[in-house]
Amino acid sequence: MPYKSLPLHILIIEDQLSDFILIEYYLNEVQNNIKISRAVSFMQAENLLKYSTFDAILLDLSLRDEDNRETLTKNIVVLANNAPVIVLTVYADTGFGVKSLSLGISDYLLKDELNAAQLSKSIHYGIERKRIESQLRESENKYKNLFDSSPLPMWVLDRCSFRFLSVNAAAVDLYGYSWEEFLGMSIKDLWAGTDDPETEILELIRKDGFFKLNISHRKKNGEIVHLKIQSNPIIFDGKEARVALANNITASLEAKQALKNSEQRFKALVQDGSDLVMILNFDGNLTYVSPSSKLVMGITAELLINYNLFEFIHEDDLDQVKGSIIMLQSKKRVQIPSYRIKTSNNKWKWLETILTNLYDDTSVNGIVANSRDITEFVQQEKELMESLKRYNIVEKATSDTITDYDVQNDVMHYNEGMELMFGYTEDQISAKGSWWDEKVHPEDVERVKNKVDLVYKKGHGSLQVEYRFRCADGSYKYILDRTYLVTNENGEPLRMIGSMQDITEIHNYIETIERHNDRLKDIAWTQSHVVRAPLARIMGLIDSLENFEDMDDQAQLLSHILTSARELDGIIRKINSKTDESISHSRKC
Amino acid sequence: MLKVIIIDDDDIMVFLQRKLFQKCGLTKDAITFKAATEAIEFLKNEEINQHFLILLDINMPGMNGWQFLDILKKMKISKNVFVIMVTSSIDCYDKEKAGTYSNVIDFMEKPISIENCNRIKDYVLLKEFFTN
Repeated sequence: MPYKSLPLHILIIEDQLSDFILIEYYLNEVQNNIKISRAVSFMQAENLLKYSTFDAILLDLSLRDEDNRETLTKNIVVLANNAPVIVLTVYADTGFGVKSLSLGISDYLLKDELNAAQLSKSIHYGIERKRIESQLRESENKYKNLFDSSPLPMWVLDRCSFRFLSVNAAAVDLYGYSWEEFLGMSIKDLWAGTDDPETEILELIRKDGFFKLNISHRKKNGEIVHLKIQSNPIIFDGKEARVALANNITASLEAKQALKNSEQRFKALVQDGSDLVMILNFDGNLTYVSPSSKLVMGITAELLINYNLFEFIHEDDLDQVKGSIIMLQSKKRVQIPSYRIKTSNNKWKWLETILTNLYDDTSVNGIVANSRDITEFVQQEKELMESLKRYNIVEKATSDTITDYDVQNDVMHYNEGMELMFGYTEDQISAKGSWWDEKVHPEDVERVKNKVDLVYKKGHGSLQVEYRFRCADGSYKYILDRTYLVTNENGEPLRMIGSMQDITEIHNYIETIERHNDRLKDIAWTQSHVVRAPLARIMGLIDSLENFEDMDDQAQLLSHILTSARELDGIIRKINSKTDESISHSRKC
Repeated sequence: MLKVIIIDDDDIMVFLQRKLFQKCGLTKDAITFKAATEAIEFLKNEEINQHFLILLDINMPGMNGWQFLDILKKMKISKNVFVIMVTSSIDCYDKEKAGTYSNVIDFMEKPISIENCNRIKDYVLLKEFFTN
């Protein structure tokens, strides 16, 4: 009853020919296509085993060149190269037969009880067992390789002590601990957080069944890694264990966080910014309105989105806005400089909008309108323009020369007064401050300089100063200068704006009046001294006549009175003519 | 003894003042000068201890009253000389200026009256010379 039709090659190590023949006989009975080789000594067997492979080896332990049965058995098992070794023994040797099983043989048979069926069974069982053994070994190796060479970190944990029983190279790589270090550690040594629900995890590990969780571990260098762990219960070296597979999600978590931050940032920019952001189509219908619409227009985003943007735009500005939107068909970005938009209380606000065509971005699919409220700016600009206009009119209307001196850059601007008042042509006028300085009359320079220095020192205020200023023809004009100093926030002088008023005429007039006054003073002096001299004399003489009647020379006194009266008369006549002269002189002036 | 000097270019005024001083008992023989320079020359030769009362006109040809005072204040005799400025018309400026000269004790407007003379006799500084 053959078990297998495959050809078999059997080596029989047997020095006794009779036994060999018997065995050969049995074997041929077992199977037809069987090839039998024979070795009569260990040495011969060794040679045969080195150069050929056998499906099975039958070994008689009583060889002449090898007395030690144990050594012989061991050597043959090694040389057998995974072929089953069946030991043939005599009855008296049953003890060793049993022992030899532990040396790696597949079976032992008693020569005395040998028969074909027994032999066949033993050979085929041996072959089959070896095949299964080798398959098992291969499979084990395969799985071991899967564990060792896995690119993902893996480890095996003792489910009771939580200690590492094995880790793979990827785990060693990731954590920086050596394999030996790992075997001295427990999973708890890796946990990064103190606030992790430790007991819960330990319970999971202890329990049966698959689990997965996300956890943070600390590497040997202190770095934190975030992992997604899947764990399966296994029996490892006879212990209840778990094999875990870790997926390093640190980078992806960080990327996710970065994305989240970026999203939040953009959200904040759009939703919490003061700018009004809208998404609309070419017809002005809205698909998104940022919450700032409440701030800018007084209308909530939820309400505004139901309307068409064009309904809110001032009719005078509507064409400009629509025109800008049409331009987006050929341009990516268009700016609408300023237009008016109606707010909830029917007032107009000025907006400045940047339109961007984002139809090619599927997440937007429309025109993004980014609008800024420039109402205040427009009003300020209007006021500024009016103020400038006023200034220009004043500058033109005044007969004064207006000076505007940029202190820090030493640049002086004049209005046309410098030409009209002083006769300087445009080519003659220099913008340097020194040009102006050297036109001031040398006698006035020091005084003007002191006044200006004082204003600089005070850092504010205005100054009023009179001086003479040289004209193009070399003559001097009397100037009343009123200048105002403009400073920055630190009080440093920036500009000096002044007006130079020609007071030459007034000055001449004053001079005339002063001269006139001098003459009048002269008259007054004459009156008080010259006129009063003879008068005082007369009074004194009369007094004498009155008080001292016994005066012997009354005639002389009377004569003195007459002389004095005549003198007085002459003086008064002189004054009259002098006064007339003075009056007519001043009229001529 | 107090010597009284009248300095005035006006003869009649000098004449009147001399008369008045005699009548009022101020002095019998006032010394008179028509020019201030003459008075300076005179004072130069006087005893330092001698006391003088000078009635000084302001407006005179040549050296005027002020110039006379300027020279006087530098002279040794100065501390014993009392000056009364006499002018035909008093103005504030003159009065103010007179205050800057320590020799000047009063300021009078012409013509000098009896009351003026009595006032002179009552001056604290001069009283000792008129008690007889």
